[in-house]
Amino acid sequence: MDLRFTEAQEILRKMVRDFLATECPKTMVREIEKSEKGYSPELWKKMAELGWMGLVIPEEYEGMGYTFQDLTILLEEAGRNILPGPLIPTVISTFPIIEAGTEEQKKEFLPKIARGELIITTAQLEAEGTFDDSGIATKATPKGDDFIINGTKLFVEMAHVADYIICVTRTKEGSTDKGITLFIVDAKTPGIKCEVIPTIAADKLCEVRFDNVAVPKKNMLGKLDAGWPLVEMMTRKGAIAKCAESIGGIQTCVEMTVAYSKERVQYERPIGAFQALQHIMANMWTSMETGRYLVYEAAWMESEGMPCAKEASMTKAYINEVYKDVGQWAIRLHGGIGTSYDHDIPLYYRRSKSSDTTFGGTDFHRELVAQQIGLK
Amino acid sequence: MDFELSEEEKAHRKEFFDVCKELEKKRPPSFVGIEAIFEVDECWQFHLDCAREFGKRGWLALAWPPQYGGSGTMMDKVLFAEARGYHGIPGVDIFGVQMLAPTALQAASEEIKQEFLPPIARGEVMWCELWSEPNAGSDLATLSTTAIKKGDEYIINGQKTWNTGAHRGDWGFGVFKTDPAGRKHHNMTFILLDMKTPGVTVRPIPYIDGEAPFDEVYFDDVHVPAKNIVGQENEGWSVVNLLAGFERSGMTEIMATLRELEELVEFCNETKRNGKPLSKDPLVRNRVAELACELEAAKAIAYRIADLQNRDEMALMDASAAKIFYSELGKRFAFVATDIAGPFGQVKQSRWAPMQGALEKKFQECFVTIISMGTNEIQRNIISWYGLGLPRMK
Repeated sequence: MDLRFTEAQEILRKMVRDFLATECPKTMVREIEKSEKGYSPELWKKMAELGWMGLVIPEEYEGMGYTFQDLTILLEEAGRNILPGPLIPTVISTFPIIEAGTEEQKKEFLPKIARGELIITTAQLEAEGTFDDSGIATKATPKGDDFIINGTKLFVEMAHVADYIICVTRTKEGSTDKGITLFIVDAKTPGIKCEVIPTIAADKLCEVRFDNVAVPKKNMLGKLDAGWPLVEMMTRKGAIAKCAESIGGIQTCVEMTVAYSKERVQYERPIGAFQALQHIMANMWTSMETGRYLVYEAAWMESEGMPCAKEASMTKAYINEVYKDVGQWAIRLHGGIGTSYDHDIPLYYRRSKSSDTTFGGTDFHRELVAQQIGLK
Repeated sequence: MDFELSEEEKAHRKEFFDVCKELEKKRPPSFVGIEAIFEVDECWQFHLDCAREFGKRGWLALAWPPQYGGSGTMMDKVLFAEARGYHGIPGVDIFGVQMLAPTALQAASEEIKQEFLPPIARGEVMWCELWSEPNAGSDLATLSTTAIKKGDEYIINGQKTWNTGAHRGDWGFGVFKTDPAGRKHHNMTFILLDMKTPGVTVRPIPYIDGEAPFDEVYFDDVHVPAKNIVGQENEGWSVVNLLAGFERSGMTEIMATLRELEELVEFCNETKRNGKPLSKDPLVRNRVAELACELEAAKAIAYRIADLQNRDEMALMDASAAKIFYSELGKRFAFVATDIAGPFGQVKQSRWAPMQGALEKKFQECFVTIISMGTNEIQRNIISWYGLGLPRMK
């Protein structure tokens, strides 16, 4: 056991931290939030040059061949700074291609993703808003060399700028293996309509309607009717990735609050001298630190290829609540100024809600935990 | 970052678990919760038996230097704590093994180390702590019990309180005012004394549940050899701080709660309410799962502390955070578990009690870890002042 990051990982962390501090200041975060695109193509290009989108893509497909643990370090720093844009949807959507894609699909998509030429996202949720397979009603039916997709997907992150959408469809009813199939769909295919849903974090979650959308059979990702394990894998990896990003945001909330409490003077002393506030900050730090090693443990297990569905769900369920709670205390300890749109703290608080819902909310993951700990 | 144990550590862990699993079979049924060792005679005897067994195996001297009979690493110590916690096995004297030994190893004279460490390592001498006084709790530096030097002896007069297991301990360690006129923090000495010394009176204090795990101790002209000190005379305060710095990861408590969680899951699977097993109730599932998540977080930070200590690094903030977290998690566990058990959650060990009465115990004993070892409010001060650099209270 050695719970220190390697020297190479520390270098990666510092590189990401320094890069984002100069290239993605908060003024830019706010501009991006208000923009139609929801990301900065210039910044995206620079990130690609640094190899971020290809971080976990194998070297033979022009990626960096780094580990999942390395990815979580990058994401922790992204969360610390806030980095709007399609990094997480793209990276998480890459995993099923790496794991289940045909050689042809890998050659077609992975190098372009690594070069930052393709934005890709996954369309899973529908009207019920659940991460369970029961929520998937969108159908794909074979027709000649194509499958025809019909249905409406919701909360598809950055779909409005995506080049490809991995669509989770139902291809068989009443099947024991759930009858789910994944397709890599060209976002420009006729019949696709995309609309941005207004959300707390302005993170461009979209409604994507598929109206008789024809997808070539060669774009099927993985096996027919047997795609559900790929979705579970994405939810698991995505949950851990999101938690890594969240722990970075949580850290900023704690740091900013402590710093502010040392500067702000009331009753002739810095407010940080009041025990009423000190103990809240100690609680915030405690929540962060207990959460941090939970995230690191889950990330390590996933990185080592160990079964970690339980730990991933435990982590997501825990971190969801920690981020929201630390975020709201950060605002409260800043007082009135903390509620101002132009202050940085609300940027984090708003993200605590979007992070919470992405890849499974607290109750969804607690139910998975309940199953894993043997509640019949 | 790597959470994997080495092959050697895995082998040690297995041995710790195997031995504790065997010991669990011999545990008296009256042993419910660790405080039972102080309250019930047969549980104290079991504690002594386990201590001798561990002593023979060298497990009470884990991470000590070899010249005092030590072996193993700080990580071994944590792995041993896991096994004891999970199987509910006493035998490690929290005062002698966990507090005094590491303190003496750093601050005591060679003579004191040679005299007092080997019996601790063999599990032969049990200790108690003489710390708080009626008017000196968290603000310990204001204590008033005196130890006045006369020739080659100290003569102690005054009163200590909340002394867990003082009625069981063979020896006690404590801080006493040796220079009543001296300046604060430089007027007290860390003294070791035989609890059978004439003039020492131990009186049990009934705890919330009516049992007597702790005592008040009166000193009436108690003569103690002046050589029996740790650190320098009048510099006991630095020894107190040193001792407080030997934070534990909380792994025993965490693993004990994990075991209780497993038993709670079983209870929910087997117990029907409103026509269906409790385990089918979504609210029950959600609440139990929440506890499981928090326990995993507690375990993760305990490993973080173990990892830091294994490299001789300071774990001050993390240890305080862990202590706050696992002790308050114990309270949350008690609340949720006794809620789920409904009216049975209040039942003391008897034929009506679920989980052998563990729930009722947990509900009443959860304060022990929250208040002792520096209250959680003091831990929050430590994080604020020494960790976050916030201004100290004057």
